[in-house]
Amino acid sequence: MPAKLVVEGLTHHYPDEYTGESVHALEKINLEVQEGELVTVVGPSGCGKSTLLNILAGLLPYREGVASVDGIQISGPGSDRGVVFQEHAILPWRSVAKNIGHGLELKGMVKEEREARVQDFVELVGLSGFEDKYPHELSGGMKQRCAVARTLCADPVIMLMDEPFAAVDAQTRITLQEELNRIAIATKKTIMFITHAVDEAAFLGDRCFVFSARPGRLKAIVDINIARERRIWADMNADDEFVRARDEILRLVREEVSVAVEE
Amino acid sequence: MGAGATMNVLATASIAVQRRLGRQRIRKFLLGSIPFIVMISAWHMNTVFEWLPPVFIPAIGEVWDAFFILQEDCVGFGAALMLDNSCLMSTHILSSLGRVILAAVIGLPFGIAFGILAGMSRPISKILEPIGIFANSISGIAWIPLAIVWFGVGWMTTLFIMLNTIFWLMFFNSMLGVRGVARVYEQSVLTMGGSRLDVILHVYLPGAMPSIISGMRMSMGFGWRALIAAEMIGGDSGLGFMIFSSAEEFKIEEVFLGVIIISIIFLATDHYLLKPLEKWTIHRWGLVWKPT
Repeated sequence: MPAKLVVEGLTHHYPDEYTGESVHALEKINLEVQEGELVTVVGPSGCGKSTLLNILAGLLPYREGVASVDGIQISGPGSDRGVVFQEHAILPWRSVAKNIGHGLELKGMVKEEREARVQDFVELVGLSGFEDKYPHELSGGMKQRCAVARTLCADPVIMLMDEPFAAVDAQTRITLQEELNRIAIATKKTIMFITHAVDEAAFLGDRCFVFSARPGRLKAIVDINIARERRIWADMNADDEFVRARDEILRLVREEVSVAVEE
Repeated sequence: MGAGATMNVLATASIAVQRRLGRQRIRKFLLGSIPFIVMISAWHMNTVFEWLPPVFIPAIGEVWDAFFILQEDCVGFGAALMLDNSCLMSTHILSSLGRVILAAVIGLPFGIAFGILAGMSRPISKILEPIGIFANSISGIAWIPLAIVWFGVGWMTTLFIMLNTIFWLMFFNSMLGVRGVARVYEQSVLTMGGSRLDVILHVYLPGAMPSIISGMRMSMGFGWRALIAAEMIGGDSGLGFMIFSSAEEFKIEEVFLGVIIISIIFLATDHYLLKPLEKWTIHRWGLVWKPT
């Protein structure tokens, strides 16, 4: 089966915003994401993982290498790639339901059809009863659930998530991680999840891509063979596979952090 | 029936009124009317004690009567609507209002549209910003002499002066509003397959709403002022014209009347148009800081 997302020889430089010097962000990235797979991407800060996501989202033009989704080369933003941003990127002037249905509205789906689908996703992320609330009336965790539903409801081929749970408190983060796992089971969506938290990467990923310090290279791929149904935080510390994967990712990342410090 | 019973009835009535209208609203209204009550009392006391002669400050009753005297010769509703010269009062009010509405209907949408375009696009803002600063520096009323030469005395001149004021204020406010909208909102629409137009309608316009509303406030405020000034010098009707021509004839009560009507109309616009718009948009969306 052909991969959903293919990246070949992707190299990227960009001029620094203040100094104007060329920053070498990504170096010859080769990776594939299979259908229905949830891959996590970790690496030290500044390793270019957000750059990679922006390129895949079509928000950043690239010159060297190839990136394609379903065999179609990426050349700008498109509804085949949904993004869940780091900040709460739900529109403050739209209610929860209108935020979630926004993608369908942009596609021109009629209202009646849209509402039924929106309701499904409201329930999927547990926001029933909050459909008519505005984002400023929601908690941080609820905002991010709304953001996930907003992206999912537009039915993208692949969902790109850029450290989506970084801004919420630790308790909420654990809940959101378990919920994302549940959503991954329910929707079988192909997901690329970028994070800097090692345990999050091990908990969520079928595979974890570890990036090196700048210029970002794909340093290693760690497989995590735990059935999705078994991924519950309460059991994880007793799960040998989880502990092994987490420790290995941690070791790989720490090598990079120490390299960065020595430099 | 004793004093206690009367107090009880009053208290019950007061509670009923408070329930119906809302305690905070009554409080706000009462507090807001204090300066007006003080002003009106002082005005009336002047008439009673004659600190200043009536040539300078007319009696309240005279001002009230002036309204009806000006409208005296008016024959029917139709004549008033046709801005007939026999219906002086309504003609002055309606011509000023008409100019304000016309200028707002043209000036506000164009100002917002060009402001949004300039906020989105560097080249457009580079073209329009310098001319905007130039136009703003020659404040609205400085155009009056030139406008009279170009358009003569009347509607075109007053409209031109108002548009000049409204458009540029609206333009700058909308532009700054758009520039302040977080990029992530735009990106979140683009990555769902939205077009540039979708971004304008779904992100820039609502996102710039706090600035747009304060822009409306400013442009309507300055627009009214410009209108009154324009009517005084380059108009042949309207409240500004009425104030100015009445002063020349020493009809001080008509001057007072004109000033009071202007402020009432302005207060009403703010209260019945801008405040509800504010409540319906930026308050509902949580885009403004609200005291709790």
